Amino acid sequence: MNGELQITDCECSIQNPKSEIQNLKSEIQNPRYRLTFATQRTLAYVSVLELGKIWERSLRRARLPLKYSQGYNPRPRLHFAAPLPVGCGSEADLLDVWLEAPVDPQRMRTALTDVVPPDLSVIDVRAVPEDEAALSEQLVAAEYRVWLRDVDPQIVQSAVTDFLHSDTLALAKRGRKYRGKTYNLRPLVEELRLEDAPAPWTGLWMRVYARPGATGRPDEVLKALDLNDAPRRCTRTRLILAV
Amino acid sequence: MTTIQPIPWEAIEALLHRVQKPGRYVGGEYNAIHKPWETTALHMCLAFPDIYDLGMSNFALAIFYELLNARPEVLAERAYLPAPDMIAQMRQASLPLYTLESYRPVAAFDILAISTAYEQLYTNILELLDLAGIPLRAADRDATHPLIIGGGHGTFNPEPVADFFDVFVIGEAEAVLLELIDTWQAHRHLPREDQLRALLDVPGLYIPRFYQATGEFGAVVPTDPAAPARILKRLLPTLPPTPIRQLVPNVEVTHNRAVVEIQRGCTRGCRFCQAGSITRPVRERPAAEIVESVAAILDATGYEEVALLSLSSADHSEIKPLLEALLERFAGRHLSISLPSLRIESFSVDLADMLSQGRRSGFTFAPEAGSDALRRRINKDIATADLLAVAEEVFRRGWRTLKLYFMLGLPGETDEDIEAIIDLAHRVRRLGLDIGGRKTEVHVSVSTFVPKPHTTFQWAALADRYTVERRQSLLRERLRGRGLRLSWNQYGSTRLEALLARGDRRLNAVVEAAWRNGARFDAWDEWRNLEAWERAFAETGFDVDAALYRPRATDEPLPWDHLHSGVEKRFFLRDYRRSQAGELLGDCRESCHACGILVNYPGMWTAEWECPEQGGGVKSKA
Ligand code: SF4
Repeated sequence: MNGELQITDCECSIQNPKSEIQNLKSEIQNPRYRLTFATQRTLAYVSVLELGKIWERSLRRARLPLKYSQGYNPRPRLHFAAPLPVGCGSEADLLDVWLEAPVDPQRMRTALTDVVPPDLSVIDVRAVPEDEAALSEQLVAAEYRVWLRDVDPQIVQSAVTDFLHSDTLALAKRGRKYRGKTYNLRPLVEELRLEDAPAPWTGLWMRVYARPGATGRPDEVLKALDLNDAPRRCTRTRLILAV
Repeated sequence: MTTIQPIPWEAIEALLHRVQKPGRYVGGEYNAIHKPWETTALHMCLAFPDIYDLGMSNFALAIFYELLNARPEVLAERAYLPAPDMIAQMRQASLPLYTLESYRPVAAFDILAISTAYEQLYTNILELLDLAGIPLRAADRDATHPLIIGGGHGTFNPEPVADFFDVFVIGEAEAVLLELIDTWQAHRHLPREDQLRALLDVPGLYIPRFYQATGEFGAVVPTDPAAPARILKRLLPTLPPTPIRQLVPNVEVTHNRAVVEIQRGCTRGCRFCQAGSITRPVRERPAAEIVESVAAILDATGYEEVALLSLSSADHSEIKPLLEALLERFAGRHLSISLPSLRIESFSVDLADMLSQGRRSGFTFAPEAGSDALRRRINKDIATADLLAVAEEVFRRGWRTLKLYFMLGLPGETDEDIEAIIDLAHRVRRLGLDIGGRKTEVHVSVSTFVPKPHTTFQWAALADRYTVERRQSLLRERLRGRGLRLSWNQYGSTRLEALLARGDRRLNAVVEAAWRNGARFDAWDEWRNLEAWERAFAETGFDVDAALYRPRATDEPLPWDHLHSGVEKRFFLRDYRRSQAGELLGDCRESCHACGILVNYPGMWTAEWECPEQGGGVKSKA
C-alpha cells in the first residue's frame, strides 16, 4: 500500500506493525494535529486514496510543513480514522496530520480553509499528543444517514424489520482474493432504523461497528436490504472513538 | 431550442451509484473556473471525446481553458465523453451530455470545440455529439446549434470527419481561437452559412463545406472563390504562456501532475513522426521562465510532480542548468520531476540520474528499428554499438527495468531487421543480467508503423497483415525467457488507425455507419468493436485494401495537400528519396535543410526558434 496513508477496510487491515513502530521511533518529535472535516456532493465520490491525495495537495497549497516518510518514495504522514466508502460524504470525519514544526491550530485551519477544494470543509483543527494511539485503533463505530429515492417506505420498513430479526446475513467479501468467500454482516450493524427525510427521500439511519477487521458499510447494508439499485445520498454523520 | 438551465444535481446523483468511478462525472476540481452564465457574452464548451481520465491529462485543453476564461466576456467549461456504463445510464435517464462546471447541457453552448488529437477518437466524436443531442452532420445543423470546431493533430487530415464539423483549426489554436471568437461574435445573428462565410477571413481555418473532394483519394479543392486553395497552419512566434492555475482532479487520472511545456517542435527529423513535422519550428521556453512557472503552479495547485513536456527533452539547449535550478529551488519540497522522450545517449542517463534521487523505476528508449541500416532509413541516428553502451550505463547506474520501443512494418523492413530486434533485446538483457543481476527486466514494445500524412513516409503503404503477424509471431517465439517481456498491437486496430489517418472524405459515411453499428472507443482494447467496422465497410462498399496497401505515386494529389504544415511537400519527397538510399539527414539545429518553415513564415523568426538565424532557409546543405 502507499506509504503512510493507512487504509482499514471491512475485511482487511493493512497496517504494517513493523513500519508503524519504526515510524513512531523516528517521528516522535513531530507535532500531530487532528483535523475534523466534512465532504459533500462532488467529494462524496472519491476513494480514500484519492481523498488522501486531495488532503496532501491542500496541505501543500497551504504551505504547511508536512512530515514526510523516509526512503525512495517519501509520503506525507496522514492517517484517516476510517476510509469513507465511495459515494458517501461526511459531516465529521477525522484525519491526523504530522508536521515538521508546530503551527498554531487556528492559523492552520484558516490557511486550509482558503485552499481546500469546493465541497470540502475544515470544521476543527487541534493538536493531539504525539503518542496517542492511531485513530483507526481508537475507532469503535460509525453512524450513517442514507437517503433513498424511488422506494416505497413500507417496503424499506419491512426489509429493515427482516434485517434486524435475522442472525446471519451472508454477504460476499469484496476484493478479488476473497472470491467465493462470504462474511456475516448482521453482527456488524448495531442499529438500523427509518428516520424522517425531506420529500422525495426516504431516510435510513444506522450505526455500524468500525473496528479493524470488523467494519460494517452502508452500501453493504443496502445490498442486504435489497435496495442496491435505489438512488441514494449517503452521509457519515459521526465517528465514535473509544474513550 | 435546448434548455439552458443546468441539469439538477439530483438527476446526476441518481445515476452515480450504478457506474464505475463516479467522480469523473461531477466536476468540483480545485481551480475549476465558474463564471456567471447570464453576464458572459460567449459560452464555449471545450470537449475531449474520450473519458475524463484521458481528457484531464490533455495539456492543450488546459491551455485553452485558461486562455479563454482569461477573457472577461468568455465563459469556457469542459465536457468529456463518459465511459460506456455512464453513457448507458444517461441515455436511459434521457440526460444529455453536460459540462462539469455548471452542469449545463453541451447543446446550450455557442461554440463546441472538440479535440481531434488522434484518429481513434472519431467515432467517439459522433457519440459525443449524439449524447449532447446535436445533429451529427454540419449540413443538418443551423444557427440554433453550437458551432462545432475541431483542433489537434488530427486536423492535418480531417477529411474522414469533415462532414461533422463546421470549422477546423489548422495549427496552433492559441494563435487563432480568439480571432475566431471575435469574428463569430460579430456575425452570430446571421444564418450558419453566412457565419462560416465570415470566418473565411480568418487565416488558418479550414471550413470543409466550402470545399469538395475530387475522385478517390484525390485533391480537395475550394468550391467558393473566397476559400483559400491551401491553408497554412497558424503558428505562434513564441510559446504561449504556461497555464498556472492548472486543474487538480479529485479522482485519479492518467497524468495527474503539473505540466510545463519546455519546447515545441523537433529538429531531429524522424521520417515516421508526424508530431515532429507538424509542430515545427522548434521553439524553446527559456529556463528562467520555466522555473518561475513551476513555482507559481506548485503554489496554485499543490502538485507533488511536474512533467516537463517536449518531443525531445535532452535537446533543450538549457536542459541541464534548468534541472539544476529546479532541484535547487524546490529542494525539501518533495517535488518529483519527470522528463519524457529522452534520446538514446549518455547525456540522457545523466539527466535521469539527476532527477531520480536514488529512486530507479523504469528507463525508456525508443530505437524504433533493430538494425543500423533500417534506423538510417527512418533517420534515427543511433548505432547499435552506441545503444548498447548507453544501456550498459543505465544498468550500471542502478536501473533494473529498461523499456525498448520498436516499430514493425517500416518501409524497407525485412526479416533481418526483425532478427536484429531480437538480437538487440537479448544483448541488452544479457547486459542487464551481468550488471544488475536476476531482477533486471527488458520490456520490448513493438507497435506497427502507420504512414501518417505530412511526413516523409506519407506515400508509403501500410504493411500487410500477413507480413506483420508473421513478424510478430517471430518476435513472440524468440523473445521469451526470464527478464524479457514483449507487447505488440493487434493488427486490426493498426489497420483501422491507418484508414482513419489516411482516409479521404468518403470515410465520413463509413465512420457514421460504424458508429451506428456500435463502434466507439476505438483506441481501447476492451471496448473496440472491429466487427462494427467490418459491417460498415460492407454497407458502404468501401474498399479498405485499395486505401491502405497501394503506395501513392509521388506525383498524385493527396487528400491532405490542401492543408499545409509549413513543411513543403517537395522537402518530404527529397527526404523520401534519401530514405530509400539509406541516407541520414542531420539535426537541422546545426544546418537548415530548407524544410519550408523559414520561407513560409517570413519575418516571424525569434530568438526562441532553433532554426539557425533568420533567413537561413536557403542555407541548405542537402
Ligand atoms: S526551416 Fe530549417 S532549421 Fe527550421 S525546421 Fe525547417 S529545416 Fe529545420
